[in-house]
Amino acid sequence: MAYLEMQGITKLYPTSGVLANDGVDLSVEENEIHAVIGENGAGKSTLMKLLYGLEHPDAGEVRLRGKPVTIKDPLAANRLGIGMVHQHFKLVPDFTVAENVVLASEPTRRGMFIDRQTAIRDVGKVIEEHGFSIDPKTKVQSLTVGQMQQVEIIKMLYRNAELLILDEPTSVLTEQEIERLFETLRNLIERCRTIILITHKLDEVTRMSDRVTVMRGGKVVAVRETKDVDKRELSRLMVGKDILLEVVRGPTAFGDPVLELRDISISIRGQERSILDGVSFQVRAGELVGIAGVGGNGLAEVEDVIGGLRRATSGSILLHGEDVTCLSPGQLRDVGLAYVPADRLRRGASLPTSVRENCIATKHHDFLQTGVLKLKSIRAFTKRLIERFSIDAAEGMRVGNLSGGNIQKMILARELASETDFILFSEPTWGLDVASSQFVYEQMLELRERGAGVLLISSNLDEILGLADTILVMYRGRIVGRLENAEAVSKEVIGEYMLGLRDDTRSEPIAAEVQCG
Amino acid sequence: MDKRRLANLLSSTTGLALTIAIAFAIVVLLILILSDEPGRAIYYFFIGPFTKAFYFGNMLNQAIPLIFTGLGIAVAFRSSTFNLGGEGQAYAGALVATVILLAMPTAPGIIGIVAAVVGATLIGAFLAGLSGFFNMRWGTQTLISSWLLSAAVILIADYFVTGPLDDPASSMMTTAKIAEQFRFLRIYLPSKLDVSIVFAAALAIGTYFFMQRTHWGYEMRMCGINREFSRYAGIHVGKYLVIPMAISGGFHGLAGSVTLMGTHYRCLKGITMGIGWNGIAVALIAKNNPIAVIPAALFFAYLNEGARAAMLHSDVTVELAKIGQAVIFFLVTAQALYGLYNSRKKKVAA
Repeated sequence: MAYLEMQGITKLYPTSGVLANDGVDLSVEENEIHAVIGENGAGKSTLMKLLYGLEHPDAGEVRLRGKPVTIKDPLAANRLGIGMVHQHFKLVPDFTVAENVVLASEPTRRGMFIDRQTAIRDVGKVIEEHGFSIDPKTKVQSLTVGQMQQVEIIKMLYRNAELLILDEPTSVLTEQEIERLFETLRNLIERCRTIILITHKLDEVTRMSDRVTVMRGGKVVAVRETKDVDKRELSRLMVGKDILLEVVRGPTAFGDPVLELRDISISIRGQERSILDGVSFQVRAGELVGIAGVGGNGLAEVEDVIGGLRRATSGSILLHGEDVTCLSPGQLRDVGLAYVPADRLRRGASLPTSVRENCIATKHHDFLQTGVLKLKSIRAFTKRLIERFSIDAAEGMRVGNLSGGNIQKMILARELASETDFILFSEPTWGLDVASSQFVYEQMLELRERGAGVLLISSNLDEILGLADTILVMYRGRIVGRLENAEAVSKEVIGEYMLGLRDDTRSEPIAAEVQCG
Repeated sequence: MDKRRLANLLSSTTGLALTIAIAFAIVVLLILILSDEPGRAIYYFFIGPFTKAFYFGNMLNQAIPLIFTGLGIAVAFRSSTFNLGGEGQAYAGALVATVILLAMPTAPGIIGIVAAVVGATLIGAFLAGLSGFFNMRWGTQTLISSWLLSAAVILIADYFVTGPLDDPASSMMTTAKIAEQFRFLRIYLPSKLDVSIVFAAALAIGTYFFMQRTHWGYEMRMCGINREFSRYAGIHVGKYLVIPMAISGGFHGLAGSVTLMGTHYRCLKGITMGIGWNGIAVALIAKNNPIAVIPAALFFAYLNEGARAAMLHSDVTVELAKIGQAVIFFLVTAQALYGLYNSRKKKVAA
């Protein structure tokens, strides 16, 4: 009998209409390290949230040692012996290690006062038993990231967790810290704990796990003994088969570069690994460049840097031949930037305001007469956009009342209205239905045919393969692959770059630091 | 869509009506407990302001500074900046206006008035703008910095009023009176109502137009609603941490100078008497709509004047109005905070 069994787990997020888990089965044996892998949006985080009581399934059953259980909230999960270590730590920096560990289950004296001595002693015992080397009296803010993660683990052990869920535990760690974590995990297995490891790093799967469950599109696509699979097969299972988009990408002649990134890096002081590490590429007129990658590998940062919302630490950006490294978003728009952001609900649109006020946001200066907005021409302009892009909305409607697809159409309408020769699309079809996605694809290809340079940042490999002339793949903040999109290129190949199995890069010269006046 | 709007309007007006009803109920209850002639006290509290031209005019007059400060707060809140330093800004405005007018006792009326108004507006704008600048530069919360700055300014102003500028001829802690030609024309004698009420109403309409129709107003509102979106769209968001604060402070300074030239004619110690704080309540009741600030200010003034009338004609004290206002302030703020909390929660959930 398996230690944990989840059967037919289904979870629909009604607001976005995303079916995050679709009849998922997961079976974890006692005292094993079980890896759950999948791309972003595959549903693995949702599954774990359901297991930890942070969300509740619409259908399905959870059994622990054969007994059906309902997990109301994380506290209930703790009582059942389930503990979770989140990707982003939930610690109070001003508190000591011991205080953080006992938080919400503090030992008390006379039912009133926190018994610090007992807390320090008990936490110290847990630390010693499991071979950690942290002083329970140090404040959390003075710990390294790796030690903070240990505190999270200690917290769960203190609460007698038998099953530990680790959500992307290595994403913030350095190589040495990763080794240390693996040691800890092995140690825990020796002490009869069970571990679920959520990750999209194949390295960790093959090195650490006993068994692996692969998820894609909210479903489980495979369960394997780790010793029976290799990374290539896992990568294939994760990305799936090629799906052809129903779009025709005609030939175009490429012109001069409209956007060029030269050695763009972003590093944060005190953090060893750069967020972006020497990213260089060009987008030429009439060319559609696609950047693929798993979330957290620098895609979002490339978007921010090009949009002027985040400054690069070093390197330079050229837009239409002009150095725009230090320009603000407003100045960039004047030079000729149009940009459809990934976060369309917060960055791309202002939900409480009208369609009209959203449509003019980037160019309201064009509707001025001695400082006063010309309502009549604003109305006419908005109506034209609504008609041209067949947006299902009225110009005075609140954007928050529109459907996701219509909001995206409105953003597209607004950005395309500036008729720039360069346009950036970031995750443009994320969460959209097929018809809306198709619409977005057609618009992108039309722009490309008109001779504009188009940059598509997407974690959806099907659209990258279907649309892009040139494909760039990012991994850990670097561009590890540059491919001409031809017959030979397949999802599998891109997948291998994306997951770090292939790397074409050579060492690049270090660029000078950006000095903005 | 229209149904939803109607439902929204209904729920917000019932909320407001309930708030006012609770405040009134508490006032009535207090009168019943404290007064030996509760019937008379209640009559004068509620009807009093309308019985005599004197009361009615004074009520309108009290609303004037509240309209200015209420507008100032509404502009700041609309832009998601928080000016809690209104009291000090208004006081500084009154003091600067006094200094200017005392320095030029023989100047023609209009020149003095313009100079005083400009000076008062500038000092208010400077004080609040400074908080906004700190926010832009170092990310300090205007909520805190404006309040702290104002607390210091009040003490400094107190020093000048009771020290170097003190009028030895007066038994009160006050400066000397400003010259006759600088005093606003009273239009409803014997009450203190003066012409500046017209100016206040015009400013409310002007502010509404500014916020809704000009591109600065548009950018300010967009920044207030969604800073991330505004930045993405190319609006200079840093600028709009400072400008709304400066406008807000300017309105408060203006309020101080108008109280001086319209009502008191001299800068008393603590001349502002809560107009800064009450401006916040006025703006919240008005839901930060500049036009709605006018009735909201009138309502606040009505409570004050009602308490005054009740005090003169019965045995209750003027603090009654303060309690009523405090209840309203409490409930309205709680409601506003609740709304803010809810929208935050929604954002987090999304």
